[in-house]
Parts: sequence; structure tokens; C-alpha cells
Amino acid sequence: MSTQHGMMSVADAAALIKRGYSLCVAGDESALRRLPAGNWIGGTTPYFMGERGGLISRDAVHATVVAEHGGRPRLRFYDAASLPQLCRNAPDHGYSILILPAFSDCHLGFARNAPNYEEMYLKPLVGWIAGGHLDDPSRTPPLVALGSSGEFSATRAVVMDVPLPPEKLARIDIINPFQPGDGACITFADTGFTAGDCRIDGRRGNLAEHLLATDADTRLPLIADYCGAPVNVSIRNIDRAAGLVEFYAPVFPGLTYRQAAPAGDRLAALRAALPPPDADISFACNCILNFLYLGLEGKGGGGLTGPVGFGEIGYQLLNQTLVYLSVGE
Amino acid sequence: MTPEELLQQALSIDPPWRVVEVRDNLGRNQIDVWIGRGSGRGGWFFGGRPAAPETHPLAWRHINIGQARCLVHAPPEAADDDLPWSGSAEQPFTRALSRQIAELFREGVRFQTVCTMLDIAVADLWRFKHGLDHGLAGLSGAPLPAAIADEDAADVPAAESPVWRMLLDGAIDIDIRMLGLKLLLTKLREQMRLITDDEVRLLKTHELRRYFVRYERQLGHELAQLKRF
Repeated sequence: MSTQHGMMSVADAAALIKRGYSLCVAGDESALRRLPAGNWIGGTTPYFMGERGGLISRDAVHATVVAEHGGRPRLRFYDAASLPQLCRNAPDHGYSILILPAFSDCHLGFARNAPNYEEMYLKPLVGWIAGGHLDDPSRTPPLVALGSSGEFSATRAVVMDVPLPPEKLARIDIINPFQPGDGACITFADTGFTAGDCRIDGRRGNLAEHLLATDADTRLPLIADYCGAPVNVSIRNIDRAAGLVEFYAPVFPGLTYRQAAPAGDRLAALRAALPPPDADISFACNCILNFLYLGLEGKGGGGLTGPVGFGEIGYQLLNQTLVYLSVGE
Repeated sequence: MTPEELLQQALSIDPPWRVVEVRDNLGRNQIDVWIGRGSGRGGWFFGGRPAAPETHPLAWRHINIGQARCLVHAPPEAADDDLPWSGSAEQPFTRALSRQIAELFREGVRFQTVCTMLDIAVADLWRFKHGLDHGLAGLSGAPLPAAIADEDAADVPAAESPVWRMLLDGAIDIDIRMLGLKLLLTKLREQMRLITDDEVRLLKTHELRRYFVRYERQLGHELAQLKRF
């Protein structure tokens, strides 16, 4: 069964919902609020990977029809207190899609604590961080939506748990267009979204000072090696006065980070790593920083469509990474 | 035999320690047991209703007595001895209860199920597990009973195989294709770096093995590499 997904009008998405399909929807708040109640979850973003490349739209939505291989997906909200039960509550056989409002307590708590959630990594979990238009002067808060009740929330997470029959398996893959550079090895003593003091090539140092002294390109993330999986931590800001670096995901102790290599055609690297066009992809998302830094508007394509979020979820929070999930035998 | 003597026997309280007071009215479905040293002369622990304590006692949640929770109260020096009815000063459970919980975790019993089965507060269990994961608590004492064999996981090395410890300690590396396993192994390796207690390290090998058992069908590439060691 090939998964239906792609950019569509609100009317087309509404028709799918009314016909009883389960959907994961991304779109501007005004578009999502026009959808009828039904078995869908959603999150706000006006940025997308469309069929012909990256695009920005406040009118269209991206919808993934969630195939019901093993039964009707279940939807619910989680607040910051209940979110650690996310994986424990997930189906024993299946996968879950999680959407978090950017900078909510749920988002920050998930970022820091998800690796230690009960049954984390045992059950496939994908998703993205909902955001808004970067040029929006009103700074409308990012929202998630629970389609079954029609509720929107800026503080809670929304989850769709998708059961699968025993013969099917959900598999999560990531595409990281960055490679670690040859620069200093950096380690941190504590988990955090900010860092000042650290060890640089084994010696005590300050990350802000180091990045400024080396004229580092802050569009290049720090990368840690997770047993062969390169995982990015994107740089949000360097506060020179405070001597702190702010990130879009936390750094963790016990890992060695290197800033990404500056050279290379990262768009080509991303395209080269895409799954074949005939692959049955049940979910995909990309990062707003890739959209901006790689100039993806009007470019990209490759058959992989989905929301462009303000963080991605491939079990744990990821940055500047394309995440996709496939269901196979 | 007095009730205190019966409790001493049931809770493995050996001389010079003894039960000096038992109360069942401090909490619903809860039995509190005070333990002290000595032969019955004065002081807080001896005689009838206790006076002001000479030292502030520590309290630990112990193995249940029937359906009732059991809390053990003892002087701080009890924490230093390797006693089944006491625990370390920072931990919520006695060593005996800690080992019971560890055995349940090793068998894959879920966190919430442990709380429900043993009537343990989630916060206390999280504090205990956090201590184990960060090398702040141990399970020193008699070894855990052997785990039940997974009859259906024929291609997954047995729990006792040294390959698990080698993989967790980084002594060997394998090419891994599944993202979940890459992330899990990274997390467990960092925990192993902090954990010095042999039995807690054994729990981590079981946690890793459980992943391989669950995804045995998909991990042919990884399992083939483990067979070489």
C-alpha cells in the first residue's frame, strides 16, 4: 500500500477527513482551523517540502494519509507532566507521530529528557516541532491541533499512535547533509540548551569565545557521533557579553562534538541520500534551518514531501536533519 | 514469639540490631518498623513511646509485608552496613527492595507495572532508577537470579555472553543500520561509563539484549557481526 501524502488545498484535506481517513496535517493556523473534526493531528508551519521543492504557503496544507495497516490510529494530547509516558503508551507494535509547539514546556522537556523516557528507542517515534512564519510581526504562538476534538494548544503536545500488524515494521531513517569538520573536539559537563564553559580538545575553555575567536560560521551545527549516526545541535545565538552559546537542541555530557565541515554541496548531499522515488514513505519532515541555509525554496524535490519544522523528531529531538519513516515487511 | 521477634525473623534483622517499635497507624495500609541496637537501656530507641531522638533516623521503603507497605526507620549508621533492611542514605529503598525491583526491570517488567505491583510511588521509583543509571546507587549483595531464557530468540547471544559487555564498554564496535539501536547504544554506553556496580551494569546488558530480541528479525546484519566475537 503506497502512502498518500502531499500538498493540497484545505478543501481536499477536509474531504479526506470527512471520508474517514486518518491524517497528519501541517499548515498555517488559519488553514488548519478550516479543517473539520476528524481523526487527524496537526501543527502550524507555513514552510513545506513540496513535490517541486521547498515552498511557503499560508493557504495550502501538507497532509499525510496515515495508512491503517493494523487498526485505527489513536490521538491524544500530552502535557509536560504526562509526556514522559509517551513511549510506554505507544502500541507494542507500531509507531507514533508527535508534534510539539516550539519553545513550549513540552518541547523543552522532550528535548532534554526524551532519551530517558521509558521504552524510548524500543518503539519508533517521529514528528516535528510546530512553528510559524519567521516574518510574522505578531509572533503568533506555534500551535498543535487535535482533530478529534477540534482543540488547538500552544502548550501541549499532540500524538497519533499508529498500530501495525506483526508482519510490518516501521523504520526511521535520517539524512544529515553535514559531516563533522576537522576542528576542535568539544565536550560538555552538563545537559543544556546553553553552554559556556566546556572542554576544547581536552582543555578547559569557553565555547562562545572559541567560536568567536575562530570566526566560526554559526550556520554550521555541532555534530556528535551516535554509534555511526551523526546528530546535529544547531547554533541559535552567541551571547558575547554572557559568554554563552544558545542552541536549538540540548547538548549532552559524555558526547564529543565537532562543528560541521564548511565545505561541500550540502544540497547535493541531501539529494543523494534521499530514498528512491518509489519508496513507500509514511512520514517525512525537514528543518527550517535547512530550508533557509540551503535555500530550499523552489529547490529540493526528490519525491519526499512534508512539513518543514522548527526541529525534527527521530526518536529524540534533531536539528538540520531530514527525517523519514517507512513501513515495510 | 513476640510480634517484634516475628518481624525480626521475617525482615532478616539479626543481632546486634532488633525491632524496637512497630506502628500501623502512620499511613493507610502501612507498617512502620523502628530498628535499633543494644539491649534495652535508655535513649530514643528503647523503652516505650520514644522521646526526642538522639540522632535523626533514616527511613527506607522495604519489601511489602503482605499487602501493606513497610517502612524501616533506623539510625544513620545502619546505612553504612551492607544490610538487606537498610539502604544508602540518598536512596528511597532498602537493599532488599532495590534488588527485587532490579530483578523485575531485568525481566522487562514495565516501570508503571512495578509501581502498581509493589505499591511504590512513581517519583520514588524514578529517583531510584536515576541513581542506578548515573552510578549513584548500586545493588551490591547476592547476585540476581538467572534470567528466564528467551526460547524464541535463537540467534541472539545469551544474556551471559560477554559480547554484550564488550559492546557496551566499547571494546567492540559493529556496523549498525537501525537508528534506534545507534541511539540506544550511545545512551547505554554513556551510562556504563558512570556505573561501577556490577549488577547495575548487568541490568544494562539485559536492556540492550532486550532490544535485539525484540528486533531479531531486522537485526540480521548486526547479529552476524556479534557471532564473530
